[in-house]
Amino acid sequence: MTTENNETTIKKAHHPLQVAKRLVKFQKDWGGLTSEKDGTINLGRGYPNFDGPEFIKESAVQAIRDGKNQYAPGFGVPDLNIAIADRFKKDTGLVVDPDKEVTVTSGCLEAIAATVLGLINPGDEVILFSPLYDCYEANLSMAGAKITSITLQPPDFAVPIEKLKSIVSEKTRAILINTPHNPTGKMFTLEELNAIASLCIENDVLAFADEVYHKLAYDMEHISIASLPEMFERTVTMNSLAKTFNLTGWKIGWVIAPSHLTWGVRQAHAFLTFSTPNPLQCAAAVALRAPDSYYVELKRDYMAKRAILVEGLEIVGFKVFPPNGTFFVLADHTPFGLGNDVAFCEYLLKEVGVVAIPCSMFSMNSEEGKNLVRFVFCKDEETLRAAVERMKKKLRK
Amino acid sequence: MEGKLSHAAKKITLSSIQELSHLAQRCNAINLAEGFPDFPAPPHIKNAAVSAINSDLNQYRHVQGVCDLLAKAVKEMHGLDIDPLTDVAICCGQSEAFAAAIFATIDPGDEVILFDPSYETYEGCVALAGGVPIHVPLDPPQWTLDTSKLLRSFTERTKVVVLNSPHNPTGKVFTKEELEIIAGECCRRNCLAITDEVYEHITYDSLKHLSLASFPGMQERTVITSSLSKSFSVTGWRVGWAIAPAVLASAIQNIHARVTDCAPAPFQEAALTALRSPPEYFESLRRDYQSKRDYIVKLLAGVGFKIEFIPQGSFFLFAELPDNWSLSDVEFVKKLILEAGVVAVPGQGFFHTDLSSNEVSKINCHYQKRYVRFAFCKSDATLTMVAERLSKLLDEQEHLALH
Repeated sequence: MTTENNETTIKKAHHPLQVAKRLVKFQKDWGGLTSEKDGTINLGRGYPNFDGPEFIKESAVQAIRDGKNQYAPGFGVPDLNIAIADRFKKDTGLVVDPDKEVTVTSGCLEAIAATVLGLINPGDEVILFSPLYDCYEANLSMAGAKITSITLQPPDFAVPIEKLKSIVSEKTRAILINTPHNPTGKMFTLEELNAIASLCIENDVLAFADEVYHKLAYDMEHISIASLPEMFERTVTMNSLAKTFNLTGWKIGWVIAPSHLTWGVRQAHAFLTFSTPNPLQCAAAVALRAPDSYYVELKRDYMAKRAILVEGLEIVGFKVFPPNGTFFVLADHTPFGLGNDVAFCEYLLKEVGVVAIPCSMFSMNSEEGKNLVRFVFCKDEETLRAAVERMKKKLRK
Repeated sequence: MEGKLSHAAKKITLSSIQELSHLAQRCNAINLAEGFPDFPAPPHIKNAAVSAINSDLNQYRHVQGVCDLLAKAVKEMHGLDIDPLTDVAICCGQSEAFAAAIFATIDPGDEVILFDPSYETYEGCVALAGGVPIHVPLDPPQWTLDTSKLLRSFTERTKVVVLNSPHNPTGKVFTKEELEIIAGECCRRNCLAITDEVYEHITYDSLKHLSLASFPGMQERTVITSSLSKSFSVTGWRVGWAIAPAVLASAIQNIHARVTDCAPAPFQEAALTALRSPPEYFESLRRDYQSKRDYIVKLLAGVGFKIEFIPQGSFFLFAELPDNWSLSDVEFVKKLILEAGVVAVPGQGFFHTDLSSNEVSKINCHYQKRYVRFAFCKSDATLTMVAERLSKLLDEQEHLALH
């Protein structure tokens, strides 16, 4: 018995075909505009055009053949949890319990989603630093958080500590830091982290640290805020395989946190994705046991790429803000007089055949970032040089 | 620090299925609890994944071909016409597709109708989004839908009806008549439906799985969720999807883009091969599972279980403890682990009907502690071993006697 008779349709207060209110502002996706097919050079989205190391891929293939194709334990394949804990100890000196303090997620992005949904209540205040990876805002919105942001200004994108002190209140639940930082390439200094740590401790605030670029640290040592005195018990550290091992499509990430915070993360994770690909986790354990030489070479390769792009952009005529870490670089496009960042990127795509992303897309306040655009250098050297050549030819001040 | 947990996290408890799994592991028990196969995944699909990894298909990807094949499949199976460019979101498993669909449609306070008993994840997900789960009990022993109970559950705040068919844990396949009733109410009350059709290819006795979306007025208001996991025995690969009208699919895609952004790249590629499997593959899947079903039904009925409802789909058997056994389902399963070295899932975890509500009295709910769910997605060797272990614990009437 069905009916299409309008008179019998019961009037509803809401309109079912609209999406949940929390999502209305997140409709647009600039990244979708990119394409390699038509000859454009994509320096927009952050994924490499070269692949991950053979030894890790072989390990995944072996795992598939060995039958590791069914549900992995929800919080991670035990061997991977151990490998994550071991690596964390090497990197920070902190000893964590693989069973109780490490949770594997579908990429660092799910680590963020699970952390936010598992630990943030509607109305909780969370402090972010802008410009920022756009997904933080979306996830915090889903959790009903009240977001406050502090802008990091060029040229050095330093944390305005006094301003930060003035906005922390008893309603503040967490401060989210991303270091090394997307999109500025900034690395939070020890002084900045200590200041943030003091505020967290004094005001009983949590720290959420997205450290996914931690091995792409060039000019200074990466510091995990969890390793500062009294911080482990209130810090959630998030990371993944993607950027360190150039396997962005595998979606193997993790959360390291004290067990009382891990609890909340795990509840959310259980209902977001439930578990993470089994054979790829097996390979991830192998990846994390890579010798130090792997990281040395990774850093060297990326520093060479950075040099090509930064120098190239400077020659072309941008004002460049060389990054200390990540594979992102922000550049001021205003010397070219092409309007705001969106207009500049459209021109760059249409007339020059290079994709960059307008920085206002990463800014909490859409008025900010209009002078800046973001390029990536996670591409092979030939591609980077080709992009620079195109811009030299077709961009005029 | 427990004060730092969100309200949603505090309400939700650790999966009972996983807890018993730990005990079972310690006792080396045969696992008939968790719903994953212990036999290998099909070789042609594994090869496709291996090939994808070796072909460097390991970066962020959206494999449009998967959407194209899904469009073809829903047309063939259900007569539905969809646009593969706008109506499909590829997600990290049906789990994420469902979570994204819930987050895309539920505002705090919105009510979601679920049929009881139900897979424990739905409720948790709804709670995480701030929604209110409303459970409509299916009537034992045949798990039939009582129309009046369904009608009484709708309110002004009902936003979504969740339908899982073929059904976990009972193995029920909702009938055409039942689906018409549910569809009718959804249309009449202008509600959405989210379906979980992961067992769509596992139906028995020539029963056809019907998608709620194929009923009049439903396609425009239904999100179909499903995955590779059960159809292709790759529960650990995490490739699933949501199929919905463009507005909903786009919202789901946006959420997915902020929660994981991309389903595992090499397995999306392998999905192309899986979804191109010939009809013989699915016939053989059904045949194999049907013979396992028949085996386990005979075995457990033979040792004293009351099996008044034979599974029509999925790979679960929801067996009732006989009247003369005083043990509850949880006590029974613990003893089964310790004495027989076999683990199953106590049924009470699947029931959510509020015991204190006016609708349901204590007596009516007694049945909720009398069921045990057995998964029979296991190799013949495993099932034979279960028979052997149980045979050692039989009394003179050849019935299972646990102490």
